[in-house]
Amino acid sequence: MPGYVTERDGADMATVTIERERIREACEHARDELGFDMCVDVVATDYLDWAGVGVSGYIGTATGRDIVHPATQGLQVLPEAKPKRFSISYHLLGLRQGAPRVRLQCWADDGEHVPSVITVWPTCDWHEREQFDLMGIVFDGHPNLERLLMPEDWEGHPLRKDYPIGGEPVRFSDAE
Amino acid sequence: MVDEPTEPTEPITRLRDYGLQSERLLWPTKGPSRFEESLGVEELEQALGITTLEKAVRWAQTKSMWPDTFGLACCAIEMMSIVGSRYDLARFGMEAFRSSPRQADLLIVSGRVAHKMAEPLRQIYDQMLEPKWVIAMGVCASSGGMFNNYTILQGVDRIVPVDIYIPFCPPRPEALMEGIIRLHEAHLAGIPPAYERNGVAT
Amino acid sequence: MAVVEDKTVIYEGSRIPSRVPTILDVPEELSGSEDVMQVNFGPNHPSTHGVLRLIVDLHGEQVVGTSAVIGYLHTGFEKTMESKTYWKCVTYPERIDYVGYQNNELVFVSAVEQLLELEVPTKAKWMRMLLCELNRIHSHLVYLGTSALELGAISMFWYCFREREQILDLFEMVTGQRMHTRYFQVGGLAEDIPVGFYPEARKFVEWMPHALDDYRGLLDRNQIWLERTVGIGKLSAADAIALGQTGPNLRASGVDWDLRRDQPYLHYDQVDFQVPVYPNGDVYDRYRVRMDEMGESNQIVRQCLDKLERMDGMPWIADDRKVVLPPREELHTSMESLIHHFKIVTEGFRVPAGEIYVAIESPRGESGCYLVSDGGPKPWRVHFRAPSFVALEATATCLTDTYVADLIAVVGSLDAVMGDTDR
Repeated sequence: MPGYVTERDGADMATVTIERERIREACEHARDELGFDMCVDVVATDYLDWAGVGVSGYIGTATGRDIVHPATQGLQVLPEAKPKRFSISYHLLGLRQGAPRVRLQCWADDGEHVPSVITVWPTCDWHEREQFDLMGIVFDGHPNLERLLMPEDWEGHPLRKDYPIGGEPVRFSDAE
Repeated sequence: MVDEPTEPTEPITRLRDYGLQSERLLWPTKGPSRFEESLGVEELEQALGITTLEKAVRWAQTKSMWPDTFGLACCAIEMMSIVGSRYDLARFGMEAFRSSPRQADLLIVSGRVAHKMAEPLRQIYDQMLEPKWVIAMGVCASSGGMFNNYTILQGVDRIVPVDIYIPFCPPRPEALMEGIIRLHEAHLAGIPPAYERNGVAT
Repeated sequence: MAVVEDKTVIYEGSRIPSRVPTILDVPEELSGSEDVMQVNFGPNHPSTHGVLRLIVDLHGEQVVGTSAVIGYLHTGFEKTMESKTYWKCVTYPERIDYVGYQNNELVFVSAVEQLLELEVPTKAKWMRMLLCELNRIHSHLVYLGTSALELGAISMFWYCFREREQILDLFEMVTGQRMHTRYFQVGGLAEDIPVGFYPEARKFVEWMPHALDDYRGLLDRNQIWLERTVGIGKLSAADAIALGQTGPNLRASGVDWDLRRDQPYLHYDQVDFQVPVYPNGDVYDRYRVRMDEMGESNQIVRQCLDKLERMDGMPWIADDRKVVLPPREELHTSMESLIHHFKIVTEGFRVPAGEIYVAIESPRGESGCYLVSDGGPKPWRVHFRAPSFVALEATATCLTDTYVADLIAVVGSLDAVMGDTDR
């Protein structure tokens, strides 16, 4: 797999981290060699302030619901740090027996561009436009990278963590 | 010495006397409602007194008030179901949903209004000919509903004057029917449409 | 595959427009011509799809250019859900695809349950299957009623909505609400199945095949319907896969793929049902796929009822009190229940950190939920893979060489719900 960095197994599918510049080759490899015919989804996630969030001990899992999770001794558990601010995940599906799925993930900081995979799967046209609109990630090589869901003259990228939720204050409601 | 009970004053005419059966259902003897006050309690006679010819015209307008096809989201599906045969809207003469706002009398804003959609909504409202009414169907149209965020207009009365607000998410077809019937009653009683009474909410 | 002179050629023989896959460009020989008129099918339009805007270039009656503008119903679900605890979040996904609402609920609730590694009791799974299949019938009825209405078969609207009212009666009996039922909770169902539901559901299941025969009798061999739908809006199998289509749109193009059979969730591997596949990829085939699916869903509902009628008294929600609200009668007697209730409602239960993508077969195609949790009580990132969003990407391909009257048929057959598209 070109650009392969690391992989991790998950409950639903394996997550393969790819270098950002080689994501298009990796997708072509996945489509041609590994038989993942369809790109189901392209999602960008903003991890701003991720490692700053603590979870104090009360972890819910199937096996242990103790106040004190074995690894924490009751102290705050910080989720593991992420390499960069944005992760862009490409969910792929193979249309054959067993429904193989994989998640190709690349990481980018604010301002770094990601090669567009529109030549690999044309469906990524609107997915990439949506992530550009809402998260501000620029995809190089996309022929029509414009706002899709927000009005054209909107400023800012709403789904980023530093963009406020908006709306109006409602009496007696909590933080939001 | 106990005071003599005073003569009962002239009973003030209330909206119920004008045929608005759905006003003050629960506590009829309480003082005037805010709606009556906004119309002017003392001058209800002047505000609502209508001639027989006007009554006839209003009757005709009520019996064929055609809505505009302005279904936006989930409430639109419930709006479609009142056209269905169980909750039959045709008995009110309103099954003819006009697509052209020039031919429509009633704008039922059914669904959440995003800021991107606010401009077409106002355009459609402006294109309608008077007399025209607006029903804000569902909580999203009345007040933004469960979506208090950067993209949903917090109540459609920010941009168009609204006659009837119908809560619930989504309103049952019977609830929408009640809203429509109240609108008919109000119009028959002589209450002017919302754009004459108040402008747009601030 | 190749970038040739700033055109992206996907593969030979593809009908996907080569510059931008979702925009049909006016061909050069016509592009300066006075005969080409640009018409705006604005967000408010007679067809009943919700707020889709199509900017269409017409050369006489022929469609030579099209591009879709969406976003008029963008509600910011994903951002709003990041600020609500998981228990409060359950009311949001249903309003995304507001015609197949319980499928959206199911996909979100399944994602949370898988991150929690929570076991859902069998009865809840069977009931979820039953309600999702009823919702599939409901969604296809709305599709059929509105599609037929737009093509001129106006009476279909009333027939379909008659059956739809029966389904909504069943939902109201179980959950108390006709639409947006909030019945699926993390861990199972909100309440037990009421007495008297099974006979009513059986009545509906016995009646539905007759209704389907009625519809087939009206439309299947109707000459006008055939002329308006056969051969219109073709989408080949390779194009459909390249465009990411799933669900009935994919099956009508000849690709045999159904997540219920190929990646079973709930108890779909224990019921018998057929997956209708048709080869041509035109509007008529999409209609036939949905009609057959309604019949198959009816079979599945019947099998679910057979199983559920023997499950009286079994639990309908998981037992884990750290996640699931305790039953109300316990709140009067047990202190721990009260504390748990309080904690879950105010602070919310915590979901272990991780990311997950769960996909189900909703009436429109593959509906997925991508959930990233940071270990806290609120989701860090929720993203819904909307099948209608992807279906509308295919408008440009389907509308090559069509007339303006066929445009309505094609957009209707793709069955896009704008809440799902814009989220």
